[in-house]
Amino acid sequence: MAFYDGLFKMLGLSDWCDGASSDAPMSMADLLAQSSGEAASGPFFPFPSLDNLNESCSSIIQSRDVTKGIENGFLAAKPALKTVLDPITQPLSWLLDGALWTFEVTPWFIMVPILVAIAYWASRSVGVTIFVAFSIMLLGFVDHYDVAMQTLSIIFVCTGISVALGVPIGIAMSKSDRLQKSTVPILDLLQTLPTFVYLIPLIFLFSVTESKLYGIAIILYAIVPVIRLTDLGIRLVDQDVIEAANAFGMNGRQKLMGVELPLALPNIMAGINQTIMMSLAMVVIASLVSAPGLGVNVLRGIRNLELGVGIVAGIGIVLLAVILDRVSKAALSRVDMTRVKH
Amino acid sequence: MNDMPKVRLRGLYKIFGTDPAEALDHVRNGTSKEDLLVQHKHVLGLQDINVDMQAGEITVVMGLSGSGKSTLIRHVNRLIDPTAGEILVDGVDVMGLSEDGLRKIRQDKMSMVFQKFALLPHRSVLHNAAMALEVRGVSEADRTAEAMKWLARVGLQGYENHYPAQLSGGMQQRVGIARALTANTDIMLMDEAFSALDPLIRTDMQDLLLELQEELHKTIIFITHDLDEALKLSDHLVILKDGAVVQQGEPQDILLNPCDPYIEDFVSDINRARVLRIRSVMGPLNAGADYAGDVDADDNLESLIAVSGGETNKIYRVVKDGEAIGQLDMRDLVRALVPRVSSAQQSA
Repeated sequence: MAFYDGLFKMLGLSDWCDGASSDAPMSMADLLAQSSGEAASGPFFPFPSLDNLNESCSSIIQSRDVTKGIENGFLAAKPALKTVLDPITQPLSWLLDGALWTFEVTPWFIMVPILVAIAYWASRSVGVTIFVAFSIMLLGFVDHYDVAMQTLSIIFVCTGISVALGVPIGIAMSKSDRLQKSTVPILDLLQTLPTFVYLIPLIFLFSVTESKLYGIAIILYAIVPVIRLTDLGIRLVDQDVIEAANAFGMNGRQKLMGVELPLALPNIMAGINQTIMMSLAMVVIASLVSAPGLGVNVLRGIRNLELGVGIVAGIGIVLLAVILDRVSKAALSRVDMTRVKH
Repeated sequence: MNDMPKVRLRGLYKIFGTDPAEALDHVRNGTSKEDLLVQHKHVLGLQDINVDMQAGEITVVMGLSGSGKSTLIRHVNRLIDPTAGEILVDGVDVMGLSEDGLRKIRQDKMSMVFQKFALLPHRSVLHNAAMALEVRGVSEADRTAEAMKWLARVGLQGYENHYPAQLSGGMQQRVGIARALTANTDIMLMDEAFSALDPLIRTDMQDLLLELQEELHKTIIFITHDLDEALKLSDHLVILKDGAVVQQGEPQDILLNPCDPYIEDFVSDINRARVLRIRSVMGPLNAGADYAGDVDADDNLESLIAVSGGETNKIYRVVKDGEAIGQLDMRDLVRALVPRVSSAQQSA
């Protein structure tokens, strides 16, 4: 005798309820109660949840049917999704594999100078450049050069794609309030969904041996700040200057390229900086689905409780993060023409 | 002067709110600005504006903040669309233009100077000045030459490669004016162009503008809240209050014959001796008079007071271009210095 029996009788639904006899497997609580010989006794006034209602009326589904329904629904949609997404995302696999291969085959005595040169070109700061050279040498010194380069190559590819997709999306959002309203919830979702949850549906869709699996997970997570800050940056451009641009008869393209993007550039660069940091955070988690790099060592540290391995890999990630942050921040302050010194 | 005004505003209304068309009916049926705001939640920006702006003249639109003067000037190049009415530039109805046509007219016919300068902070002074030509697609060499010429004309030689943030407010506005001049348009719209500058620099800029106007004869529409500035610059003065034109005409005429207590209040505070010209207060030539000397019709009263040494029993002959056109009794001059409000109080 369950609590809600009376309710269904009163509503005259007894026939409908008894129509389907429960053939679902018993829950653990039911099993325990049965084996101890007494009826499962709940609280005096149980919450009208699916499971509690099911006890009185077997036509009502149980909560585990909900999660199962989601899973079955996803599995049913999988072939269609796969036929669409597989070809679209295939270039991502090639890019990632190509970048990994390039970083691997290039000998260190060529790669390190190139990276240092890039750091100098972007930042034009001797201090930052020396720091970059020192950090990479340090990583190489403890034999973490290869894994660090793998991580770096993944970040280059994923950040590049995030910026290439995110900036246009951000521009479109800044031009249309409706698009902005509909996109913001999606961005919120992408940013707050626990990072592991990204991986589950992706594993269903793609095989774990494909590099695009972790590529997509990283891009989905890291693209958010660059979209947000592009949108914000363009919306924050001084309305007086926009008015002047209109008064002199600029067309939409001239306004975007000549006024809005240059003035929004500091914000966009801040977004790119955040995107780099977030893809670095995700690349560690993505090692769960076979992303190579420093994350693999972190994972090994956790799995085997190898304290030293985990800490060295962790410090390696910190070093990479600091390098990328300092270089992109120095580049940011360099391009910020709106704050020319007096 | 042409018969055809360069810019003509006809029955212009602007109402801000969710349903301006409906609010317009209320306004045409006599609802006041306050009632419209309280009863219909719409703001009346402009109300039945009819102004003709002649080619080669400086038309000054003056009013206190909130009187709709900035809204008015933005209608001329349709940065703001009117709720009703006609805007004719060179006889062409701006309201009938396509988006491309509107852009074309903004590029070729009018340029604008802004209160807050609105320069591009990431471009050099030279690039800023050449902006209008760049938009039009003029070649780099041509637009640089043109921009250099006008930057030199406004006194910014040597600053071409500076950035706006490196210049003082007055210099930034000189860049703004150079930008408008480089565009080489017939019409210049100046929205409180000198209001953000301190008084001494403002006087400099006013003199610069008058000097440029002497040689360029542009059609300038100038917005200000400063009556002294308005009287100094204007050929045609339009006074706005609560979105409606209270009085418009020759500035001297408005000063001597204010038609509304609002304008009387306005004009009672200013230095009339400096603003009024001899031609505005002189009388007809009287053959028997004994003249103490000749004075120019366009001189202001202040200079005549200096010439006469403060004596009130003299009569001067007024000449213009070497021809006698009237005479001025110093006693009339003194009377003209007293605003009508206080003279009315005296006689009462």
